[in-house]
Amino acid sequence: MVAGLVQILFFQGLGELMSKLLLPTLPGPVIGLVILLIWLIVRKEISPALLLVSNGFSQYFGLLFVPAATGVVLFLPQIKAHAWAIILALVGSVVLTIIASALALKLMTKEELMNSERLSNE
Amino acid sequence: MNERHSIVEIWVYLSGSPLLALFITLAAYQLGLFLYQKSKQNALVNPVAIAVILVASFIQLIEMPYSTYFEGAQFIHFLLGSATVSLAIPIYRGLSSLHQRWGPLLISLMIGGLTSILSAVGIAKLFGADQTIIGALFPKSVTAPIAMGIAERIGVSPTLTAIFAVLTGILGAILAPSILNLLGMKNWWQRGFTIGIAAHGIGTSRAFSVNQEAGAYASLAMGLHGIIGAILIPILYHLMNR
Repeated sequence: MVAGLVQILFFQGLGELMSKLLLPTLPGPVIGLVILLIWLIVRKEISPALLLVSNGFSQYFGLLFVPAATGVVLFLPQIKAHAWAIILALVGSVVLTIIASALALKLMTKEELMNSERLSNE
Repeated sequence: MNERHSIVEIWVYLSGSPLLALFITLAAYQLGLFLYQKSKQNALVNPVAIAVILVASFIQLIEMPYSTYFEGAQFIHFLLGSATVSLAIPIYRGLSSLHQRWGPLLISLMIGGLTSILSAVGIAKLFGADQTIIGALFPKSVTAPIAMGIAERIGVSPTLTAIFAVLTGILGAILAPSILNLLGMKNWWQRGFTIGIAAHGIGTSRAFSVNQEAGAYASLAMGLHGIIGAILIPILYHLMNR
């Protein structure tokens, strides 16, 4: 558990450092994620310690948003004033996103299927 | 010293130390998880939403300023960055199931991500939402921890972004199965990937509970969406807010 956490914190620190010095528009943890991903691809395996920490985090991911999301108390008047705009924007956006990405995926993999059929016919 | 006085002293001590904030956060989330499991994992009974409502009501009841609460709860908040880094592991596992679907997956991811931002911002503008709310809608389509990082970088409220991201996940997890059925999508990997794009973390855990392949593709979509979003959303934001 500790060994995995040390690795995660190491990559997080590396990411923060790169974010400060090289890529200020990217959040440090995202850079850390990418470096760790590259590291995993190079090594071709996930150490058990890392797996343990990752499983722990993914199980309680939601808990980690609670402190920030509780800041909603500071925005209550604004949210009340624009409640309908927010609800419609969120619902509309989710529905359209699902439809758009589903159709795009379906259309393109249909092409992929047809291409592979053509290849096998030739 | 009378008894009442000492209770007040203990209360003053407690509300000044991180203990109270940590305790109410963990206890509220625990209760949320309990209710979620009791409801047979109904997406509407979301543990994060329940915890936020409970904690927010509680700190308002005892008149604790949010800044005081956050001072204590920041120890939990700090782990968000580490948890974001650990997303590399599910993405890595998803990569092995990719085969040769890179192109279609990336393109539909871009189309989905763009649709999500433009439609949310467009609808909010149409109904007269103010700039704070519209700004926070830009990063909401990616998974909450990354969305909050992006929000900080582009200078919009990470709090509103986190709330919009969580609500998006809840809505997506509820609506996606019936929309995908209507569109006649039957492949598990296609369903999973679409849910990962549109409903990130909450959708992904739902996808895993239905089918392993759907779950792997959903977490891959969620992770890639987060990485690509972190790169492109600030650019799009600055283009649209010059």
